Amino acid sequence: MKAVKITVAALLMVSLASAASFNTQAEKDRKALIAYMEKKFADPVKNKNQFFPYSTDEELSKRFKKGIKRDDFRLGSYAYDKGGKSQYDEVMEMPPFEDNIDAGKALYEKKFANGKTFKSCFPDPAIAGEYPKFDDKKSAVVTLSMAINDCLKTNGEKPWKMKKGKMADLEAYFASASTEAGKKVHIVIQSEAAAKAYEAGKKAYYSQRGYLKLSCATCHVQGTGKRVRNEYMSPLLGHTTHFPVYRLKWQGLGTLERRIEGCNKDEGENPHKPGSAWMSNVLYFMAYMSNEMPVDGPAIRK
Amino acid sequence: MKTYTLTRIILVAGLGLSSLSAATLADAAKIDVATVCDVKANGIDGVLKTAAEYNALARKLGVEFKRKGITTSQYITDTETAAKAKAREVTLKYKKKGKVKKHTFALNYAAWRACHFAVRAVQQVNEAEKTWRLAVPGDGFKF
Repeated sequence: MKAVKITVAALLMVSLASAASFNTQAEKDRKALIAYMEKKFADPVKNKNQFFPYSTDEELSKRFKKGIKRDDFRLGSYAYDKGGKSQYDEVMEMPPFEDNIDAGKALYEKKFANGKTFKSCFPDPAIAGEYPKFDDKKSAVVTLSMAINDCLKTNGEKPWKMKKGKMADLEAYFASASTEAGKKVHIVIQSEAAAKAYEAGKKAYYSQRGYLKLSCATCHVQGTGKRVRNEYMSPLLGHTTHFPVYRLKWQGLGTLERRIEGCNKDEGENPHKPGSAWMSNVLYFMAYMSNEMPVDGPAIRK
Repeated sequence: MKTYTLTRIILVAGLGLSSLSAATLADAAKIDVATVCDVKANGIDGVLKTAAEYNALARKLGVEFKRKGITTSQYITDTETAAKAKAREVTLKYKKKGKVKKHTFALNYAAWRACHFAVRAVQQVNEAEKTWRLAVPGDGFKF
């Protein structure tokens, strides 16, 4: 009997140890990214030669904030761009997405033809920080947009387009509920298959592609804080915390999938479709990088 | 007659498939894009054939190029059509903000670009295998 107990305990310990080890690499990556971003923006003037060789001292001292910590990066480039932040604060006094949150709440409560609502799939709307998730049954990453469409299909409804419209409205409501509840990004890697999906997303994020031969990281890791025309590029760290966003360029609200598709176009690549394995894996990796950061959506971006 | 036609169809389809499946990542690493996409040396048909082979692989790998709303596939098909019609130029249509726009290229230039885009898209996959980790903080990227 004692031997059985010891064996069971040993098996349990091995199983727990291996479960914890699935995110070992991801944790290393996340901590290194935080260290890099915090070092880069600790003192931009002092770090000019290493990180901002094309900027002037005047630009770095007058337009950049210093001493930025992990959670500040949820603001994107407004974390360090003083001018951008003051414009952001002004717009956020009367944010243009409030109607979208209301529309999202109405969609959440609206009955399907079968009498059920989204509550049957998402009892708590404060779930923005929990997606994407790895679904072991499907052996694939499921983004929030995909989960919403799965809910619609399960209830006999037609799925929505994943980039704007109703999808963005409902996600705005989820993001708003999550922000109000003080939720943090909480992405889990609980299996070997999930770790593989994370690695695939990471590789895709750091691989150069398109006729311009750019990777996502060119702009949002190494390029963070560098200027393209008159805009400072935003950091990977915190990228997923505030979506959906109202972009002035779009004059409306859009999902993460819509934004990534735009990045693919900017790289000179035929964009990956929302719901594709490529897109979902990349979002899984990106969201993991923002783990433990506060959900801060919806938000406004240029 | 029917048997003859059917055999021809199977042969043509088989040849088409074998030429499309011929391009591999290993092949792409060995070739010189400037040489294989030289229209004067290889002719428009040869260059477009190379473009089709490598673009099929690029699409399979999810790395097809798209420049200003025009995909490599569109460069290939529209240039092929223009070449068959013995046109000197090819006009490619694309959508921008809901409006249909046009871009006209000299035929040789469009064929060169189709080929260059198709081959480079695949070559970049090979290159990325060696370089992507160099950009990862905490891995190849030191700071």
